[in-house]
Amino acid sequence: MIRKIFLIFKRDLKVSVRNFITLYIIIVPIIFAVIINIFSPGINDTTVEIVLIEGENVEQGEYFEQFAKVEFLNNLDEMEERVKKRDNIIGVAPDGNNEYFILSQGNEPTYVVDYVKNLVTFDHYDINVEDSQAEIVDYGRDISPLKRLMVNVATIFTSVLGGMIIALNIVEEKTDNTISAINLSPVSRLGFIAGKSLIGVFVPVVGTFLMLFITGFRDINYFHAFLMVVSSCIISIMVGFIEGINNDDVMNAAGNMKMLFLPLFGSIAGAELLADKWQPLFYWVPFYWTYKGNNLVLSDSGSLVDIMKYSGIVLVISMIVFIVLAPRIRKGLE
Amino acid sequence: MKLWYSFTKELILSSKSWYFYIELGMAIILLLVLLFVVPEDFDSKSEEYMYLDVPQVVKDRYRDNLKDEDLDEESQMVEVEADKRTFQAEFYETDESEIYILDNMEALNAFSSGERVPTVHVRVNEENQIVHTYYLQGYETQKLKNLLLVFHNRKAGYDVIEDYSDNIPVRSLYQNIEPLSDRENVIPVFLTFNGSLMSLFIIAAYIFLDKSEGIIKAYAVTASSVWHYLLSKIGVIIVTSIATSLIITIPIMGLQPNYFAMLLFIITSGFFAASLGLYITSFYKDIIQAFGVLYIVIVIMIMPNISYFTPSWDPDWIKIIPSYVMLQSFKEIISINGNIAYVLVASLGFAVLGLDIFILANHRFKKTLTL
Repeated sequence: MIRKIFLIFKRDLKVSVRNFITLYIIIVPIIFAVIINIFSPGINDTTVEIVLIEGENVEQGEYFEQFAKVEFLNNLDEMEERVKKRDNIIGVAPDGNNEYFILSQGNEPTYVVDYVKNLVTFDHYDINVEDSQAEIVDYGRDISPLKRLMVNVATIFTSVLGGMIIALNIVEEKTDNTISAINLSPVSRLGFIAGKSLIGVFVPVVGTFLMLFITGFRDINYFHAFLMVVSSCIISIMVGFIEGINNDDVMNAAGNMKMLFLPLFGSIAGAELLADKWQPLFYWVPFYWTYKGNNLVLSDSGSLVDIMKYSGIVLVISMIVFIVLAPRIRKGLE
Repeated sequence: MKLWYSFTKELILSSKSWYFYIELGMAIILLLVLLFVVPEDFDSKSEEYMYLDVPQVVKDRYRDNLKDEDLDEESQMVEVEADKRTFQAEFYETDESEIYILDNMEALNAFSSGERVPTVHVRVNEENQIVHTYYLQGYETQKLKNLLLVFHNRKAGYDVIEDYSDNIPVRSLYQNIEPLSDRENVIPVFLTFNGSLMSLFIIAAYIFLDKSEGIIKAYAVTASSVWHYLLSKIGVIIVTSIATSLIITIPIMGLQPNYFAMLLFIITSGFFAASLGLYITSFYKDIIQAFGVLYIVIVIMIMPNISYFTPSWDPDWIKIIPSYVMLQSFKEIISINGNIAYVLVASLGFAVLGLDIFILANHRFKKTLTL
């Protein structure tokens, strides 16, 4: 039995390597990792962004740059255009005889405007970081939450990718009419499913580990990471099977794939942006729990019990989906 | 004429396909999500945690200041959880932040180390000065640290400084116009991905389907040319996009958006995305092989979303990704007094780029269609 499962896995691996699919799916996380590494240091965490007029007051510009992200533009018109954009950037422009006025969009939080007002004042009175009555202590954790978020999303993406290969693999087998041939071979239906699924776990696990290593998450507990990746692969595989079996052509499979991405992004956005009272709306989405579990793994702050809890919830949801849809899978394989 | 005929034929055919209904169904689901799940405005109040390790007099002064700013001018005692332990805290809620005053250092540590949020320890040093110690994680920039330091400069609290600061005039560009709410701000994302970008993926699927069914070979013997065939496919996808975009936009935005600009932009950006999809498709035999490239393209197109929701992260390289321009354009279209000139320029850009890529794709398809 195990040998047959392994044979199917070997065969799938061979076919996917020939199609470059496996290669892609291992390379994609590496690309993610490189992109995240290159760009996440550029992410700026200060809440203050200021736009000034180029060359108008060089000294003031240098002063502001100690505290804020400063942009320089050529004239007041360009400054107005810049301030109108989505973010909370504030303009500081001369108002005649050494005075300045503040240009805002009008919808910024008051504290942002206050920060800039204060900075203009501090500059006027030559107040700087020396003589400060504050001190700063840090924990030496140099991975920012945004980097963690990006790696987390990339991890989930990688496991979804595993599900996608399976869906495409099955659709391909269908068009080649090899599924009915399987029924004649000595491999059992469960064996076939297991064999097909292996590739959807193997590839994402390798890809995710490579990505974690490259992005600098080297001190985390890799066993915890393994548990989370495997459990999220299982749900992706389930979806992959259902997609593959219910769709006769790639066209429908592609359309249905969209339905998979909606709860995925929805639950991540929900977990990050919405208040506590809205959270239960996402409890049914397995990716919600994967996201939360991954967060613990990546910040290395969860115990084994926590991780078991989150991956357990994902598994239970997967089981329910499987039980409900098992008749359809069986029928699809006939 | 032939183009019109093949377009209507495609439209009739696709109106019978399952895919067409998935698209419409998805649009309705997105609409319901927007209406019932996405709140009008996200909860964006920042949370601050402090421990006041100072004499009672100073503590009372802090409390009075906080009470003045508090929404109901009263503090509440609450229980907060950090690092799996429960602590007592005094809670103040102002317009923009939620402030928790903790009882002891242990609680403060649980928040700063366990929950990884910034905390402040206020204490008195040997010289009887009040010192604010900020506990940060370590990834914060020097700019932020400088900002915290300068605000606690010995002189920063002087009255003359405060007076000067209060008298700096502030000019607001929008006096009476309400900016978009958070719910409305999500619409451009849905429009960009449901409409414009899915075209890229869907057209590929369409072409491969036709390839596998031999429809494309049959085309070689008809009087119609290849570009008629390709353009009618794109036409169908754009019609679907228009329908789904209107389903999402009208119930939420009413008459506020500039619908003329919206139609124009859906057509041009959809044309661009579909042409790009066609071009990529022309290099591969079936969708499994094209999948990797399409996937990477989609991932790149998703990245501007991060910058859309995190405005402080807006590097220049991200601005050349087409979906960045699409998000921005859809935002201008649905805003009051949106910058329609930007939308028109972007439309022109997408139309020209789309046309170029379309010509390239057509050129390649002529050679490879029968493969």
